[in-house]
This record gives sequence, structure tokens and C-alpha cells, in this order.
Amino acid sequence: MTAYRAVVLEHFRRPRNRSLLPDANRAADGANPLCGDRIRIQLRVESDRIVEARFTADACALCIASASLLTDGVRGMTTRDATELDARWITGLLGGDPPAGRVKCATLPLDTLRRAVRDNSVEVP
Amino acid sequence: MSEILLESLDPSDESRVVQATLVSATGSSSKKIGAKMLVGASGKLLGGVTIGGCVDAQVIEAGDALITSGGRQMLDISLDDDEAWEIGLTCGGTVEVLIECIAPSDANDPAVSSYAAVRNALDGDRAAVVATALEGSRTSLVIDEDGIRTGTLGDPVADDAAASMLPEVLRTGSRAERLPTANGAGQIAMSLTRFAHELDMRTVVVDGRERYATRDRFPDADEIRLGMPSEIVAELAPGKRNAVILVAHDYKYELPVLRNLLRSTVGYLGMLGSKKRGAAVRDLLREEGFSDDELSRIRTPIGLDIGGKSSPEVALSILAEIVAIRSGKRV
Repeated sequence: MTAYRAVVLEHFRRPRNRSLLPDANRAADGANPLCGDRIRIQLRVESDRIVEARFTADACALCIASASLLTDGVRGMTTRDATELDARWITGLLGGDPPAGRVKCATLPLDTLRRAVRDNSVEVP
Repeated sequence: MSEILLESLDPSDESRVVQATLVSATGSSSKKIGAKMLVGASGKLLGGVTIGGCVDAQVIEAGDALITSGGRQMLDISLDDDEAWEIGLTCGGTVEVLIECIAPSDANDPAVSSYAAVRNALDGDRAAVVATALEGSRTSLVIDEDGIRTGTLGDPVADDAAASMLPEVLRTGSRAERLPTANGAGQIAMSLTRFAHELDMRTVVVDGRERYATRDRFPDADEIRLGMPSEIVAELAPGKRNAVILVAHDYKYELPVLRNLLRSTVGYLGMLGSKKRGAAVRDLLREEGFSDDELSRIRTPIGLDIGGKSSPEVALSILAEIVAIRSGKRV
């Protein structure tokens, strides 16, 4: 088994940070409309720093694994650094490049995170 | 079966459509060779070459591009959700899908004329097959069970070869490799809502894909909900008088929805899939702490065993099972 596949399987079966974040103050929903992956990223940002990141998703193994790694990786980052993350960063965490037809599955959480960072309009229930 | 997908489109709405045909599959494929999907210029989708998921998404993307450029193209697609395949949640292998741009309102279009010939045969109570050339220009040949030929593959030898396969195709009712029939791939959820309407059952269709969850596709559904399926199902909170039928055949929806429902009071919980796939889903959920009692609530394979394989037949078997349970029968 390749390192990439082992990482994806581990984070799919035991995803980190998969739950709602009750005190989130930033959030965004993302979707790959054709394959149907759907994800929500919620953040707690204090003094321009991400202090907590969680996700919920109805998505494929690769997307779940990517979200799991992403939410772990951005905790403690400044919002500016988080918005500058790119696809290479996430494939680095995954341990390899996804198959060509599934790059969108891996990058959906990152695209959603970027929008969540820019959103400060979330009203916490 | 006499469903012809192209007849479901209004030519005045769709000046061009892309027809996708599953031509070959290695490994395990969830649909038979010959399964078809139409991608309309308006965004409309009918049928499917797999049961949803990333492969159909790639076919739709390629189809959208082909509508603009025209022509035909063979797609070689890897069912490359290897991680999920490894734990038995999805199909593996590769598929070849032929996509062709056709003009529904042009009677001379090879696809349109071949389906007209098929309709003619069906109206005369005769089965028919459509042979399609996979390379070169678009040609097709229709042969009905009386041996009457319409059209040509452009080569008499190829026409004869196709005709020689006719008895076997008609005998088995299956699609011979590289010789797709005119059967369209029906969709289980569409049939479910249609039949459920007749049975006075209220239906809610839930999906995360906006081109699938449309009123066009589900005219008989009481409600169509687009969004994250697990959230929608949690909000609907189905109880003991309700049935939840998972027919996406996609673990990305099945697992989150099941997590929400296994400890609910929902009366019927069915999931499309083989025993093997059902076991893989249960194994994964067992790892997450669900008990055997809770997991035993998932009915898979779903429906009464009535021997049918087509989507409407599967839908019929599912509803028959629900009616039987509702009537107190042991199934």
C-alpha cells in the first residue's frame, strides 16, 4: 500500500475534527456539484488566528481525509497564512498526488476553508 | 423493457444532447455494458453509466464540453476511488464510455434514426438491438428479432457480424459486449417516486447534486431537497411510519445518513447493494461503535427477490417489501 493510500484510509476511517463547532465565528459550505461531495468548514478565529477548525461532510474518502488533515494543519495559523495555502500543501499532507480525475475531491476542503476564512458573518446560534 | 431515453427529451428544449454509453468495464462495474446516459445542453441528465459518483461526474463534464465542440469521443475512466475500493465500499477497475453529440430534432442523425427503428419494432411487439460503430464516423445498425435491418455500420461484414450476435443477445436479454441495445438505463429513485405516487405514499427525494435532484426528473415527488443528505435526513427525522431508501449506491451519502438513522425509530431502512457491499458498510460502522442489533436494521440487498434487474424492477421490489412489512408479512 502506498503512503498516500495509507494516509487517506487512516483519515477516512478515523477523521480528525469531524463535528460541529458550536462557537464558530467563520464558516462556509462547499460542494462538487457533479460528483456530489458536500462539506462544511467551521472555524473559531481570535485575533486573526485560527484557534479551532472542524468540518462535517457527506463526501468521498479522499475529500474526508483531506478535510481531516486540513483542519488539523490550519489550527494555530494566521488567517492570512491560511488563505495562501495551495493544492501542493494539501497533497503534501496526503503523501502524494491524487488521481487526475479526483483532484477536486482533495481540494474542495481547501477551497471551502479559504471562503470560510474570509467570512466573518456567521451568527453563532 | 421498452424505455428509450431519447424519447424522454423534448427536442425543442434540447438542440443537442450527448449520449454516453458504457462500452466496457474491467473489475467490478455497477451497471451492465450498454447502460446509457444523456447529458442535455440545458443541463438535463437522464440515465447513468454507473450508479452515480465520480465516474458519472467525469462523463457529465466531458459531455458538457462535447455539446459545444460536437463529435464523439471514447473516455477511458479509472474507477479510482482506490481507498474506498480497498475496504469494499465501491466498485473498482476501469470503464470505457463512448460519448457522442446527437441532434434530437434531426431525423437523419444516426442515433435518432436508429431509435425510431427500435420504436417501430417495439410497437410491432418485436425486440430489437442497436449496433454502434465505436470508431470512425457515427453509424448504427438496428436489427429486430425478425432479422429486419435498418441502417448500416458502413461495412457489410460488420453488419453481418452484428446480425450473427442477435440470437444470443435476444435470448439472454443482455447486452453483448460492444453491441449496446436500445435499452435506456432507468433510475431507481425516479421509478420509486413514480410508483410510490400510485401507492399514495408521500416521497421526499434527497440528493447533494443539483443536476440530479430536479423537478424534471421527479415530477411525482412530493418534495425535492438539495443539500447535505445527512443533514436533511436528520432534519426530516423519519419515524416508525417512515421508510428511508438509500439508492445512491455511494458510500459518501450512505455512511453519514446511516450514522444518523441507525439509532432512530425509522420504520424501514434499506440500502441498495450486494451482500458483500452491505457487509463492508456494516464493518465500517461497527468500527465506529454501532452494535450488531443496530446494524441489522439495514436491509441490503434491498427489496423482495422478484428476479428483476432493471431500475424499475428494483424499485418495484423495494416498494413491494415496504408494503409487505406494512401489512404485517414476514419478509
